[in-house]
Amino acid sequence: MNQFTVLVKKELIQLVREIKLVWFPLVFIFLGITQPVVSYYMPSILEMLGGGQGISIDPSMMAQSGGEVLASTLGSQFDQLGVMIIVISLMGIVQSDKASGMLAFILTRPVKVGSYLSGKVFSHYVFIAFSVAVGYIVSYIYTQFLFTGIPLEDLSIALLLYLLWVLFIVSFTTMISTIFNSQGVIALLSIAILLGCRVIVGLNPFLDTINPASMSTYGMELLVGGVLNSNVFWSILITLILSALAINISNTWISRKKYRID
Amino acid sequence: MLSISELEKSYPNKKVLNGVNLHIQKGEILGFVGGNGAGKTTTLNIITGILDCDKGAVSINGLTNKSGLEYKKQFFYIPDTIHVFNNVPGYDWILFLMSLFNIEDNEKLDEYIKVFDMEDSIKKSMGTYSYGMLHKMSLIAAFTINPPIIIMDEPINGLDPSAVVSFKEEIKKYVERGGTIFFSTHLLDVAEKICDTIAILKDGKIILHDKVKNIIGDSSLESIFMEAQIYERDTQPY
Repeated sequence: MNQFTVLVKKELIQLVREIKLVWFPLVFIFLGITQPVVSYYMPSILEMLGGGQGISIDPSMMAQSGGEVLASTLGSQFDQLGVMIIVISLMGIVQSDKASGMLAFILTRPVKVGSYLSGKVFSHYVFIAFSVAVGYIVSYIYTQFLFTGIPLEDLSIALLLYLLWVLFIVSFTTMISTIFNSQGVIALLSIAILLGCRVIVGLNPFLDTINPASMSTYGMELLVGGVLNSNVFWSILITLILSALAINISNTWISRKKYRID
Repeated sequence: MLSISELEKSYPNKKVLNGVNLHIQKGEILGFVGGNGAGKTTTLNIITGILDCDKGAVSINGLTNKSGLEYKKQFFYIPDTIHVFNNVPGYDWILFLMSLFNIEDNEKLDEYIKVFDMEDSIKKSMGTYSYGMLHKMSLIAAFTINPPIIIMDEPINGLDPSAVVSFKEEIKKYVERGGTIFFSTHLLDVAEKICDTIAILKDGKIILHDKVKNIIGDSSLESIFMEAQIYERDTQPY
């Protein structure tokens, strides 16, 4: 086994032993189910709660399509609670190794900083992407059952675009976890910046092209309208470049021995 | 084998190493002795690549610490504080360390587990291990990996008497196989019994470096060390 494989295996064993392999996908399944179920039963809930007090649903309101509901899963559930959960689960990805002295311990073995980092990013990304995909598929099953179907091609492309946004979230949070020593600061900074990226989508076409959070919006647009944004190629490229840059900054930071030694 | 030349290192408020020179031959057991704050751990951290030095050079078998992985394959470092994942069994952790050195000799591993009397606990989570057990586990990993040099920071701390005996026997066997040992310690009687040579570090400088028999003569290392702490001697290469 080469170094990278050994380190990925170590990370995956850690994920199993921390039971993260169980609870993390369950959280995304829950988030995935919430949107279609709440959207479907909302009229009944409002009717039951409103009753004689005047809260009612306009009967002429158009029923939501399956694509709109699944887009809301991405935009509301995954992009808000989902991003926060991903960041919180990743805030110690490098920081905890720095604080415990594990980073210094591992780097006195025949391990390249690049292998250490890529092993971490790869294993966590694969695991988080798997969890997001499972939540998304469960959401789709409920959406199709309660609303309408979605073309398989649109469904798959929207997921792949979203997973590119997730790649940026993982590499960005890894970078912040490498640079800062307090988990609170790491979580706060990462959530603020990533949600900030998500909030500014749509303000300016150029910003949208260079903003990794646009990947989520492109996926949502595809699900709702069946049309892929013309800037998607450039956005994919820039998201990949920014993710690589974040990992490279982490690599440089550790290589310059800017980590704590106990 | 291991060569340290003119090593200097400063922290913001203190110069810790002030021109350390040390050369260790293949097959030698060198005890690195010094008071608290003398610079022993800083020296070890520079040799192992955790820290960069301000000036000077370190090389093992002609490879400098800029040589990357080949340099790191020359040694196995056992720090004073051993960092582990609490929920991982010791056996898996040793296999992980072995795989980083591309070593897959499980028979040898099982043999050393028996030598250090860890059969009952090696498959338990490391979070249940005592300080001494963590040291035993590291020694098992070191002897199984069998690198050209084993570098240790206070290796005997926490070991029970039978483990100390095993440790002494195993380092002798390891040296007979061509290995080299470099360890820092506060335990002068142990250093006196185990080591071929002793280097005493004081205020960031080697003040005495010679074969044990030449240093102690009819005296003891303890009295020599106490004397050296008071009257600084010139380094005496042998």
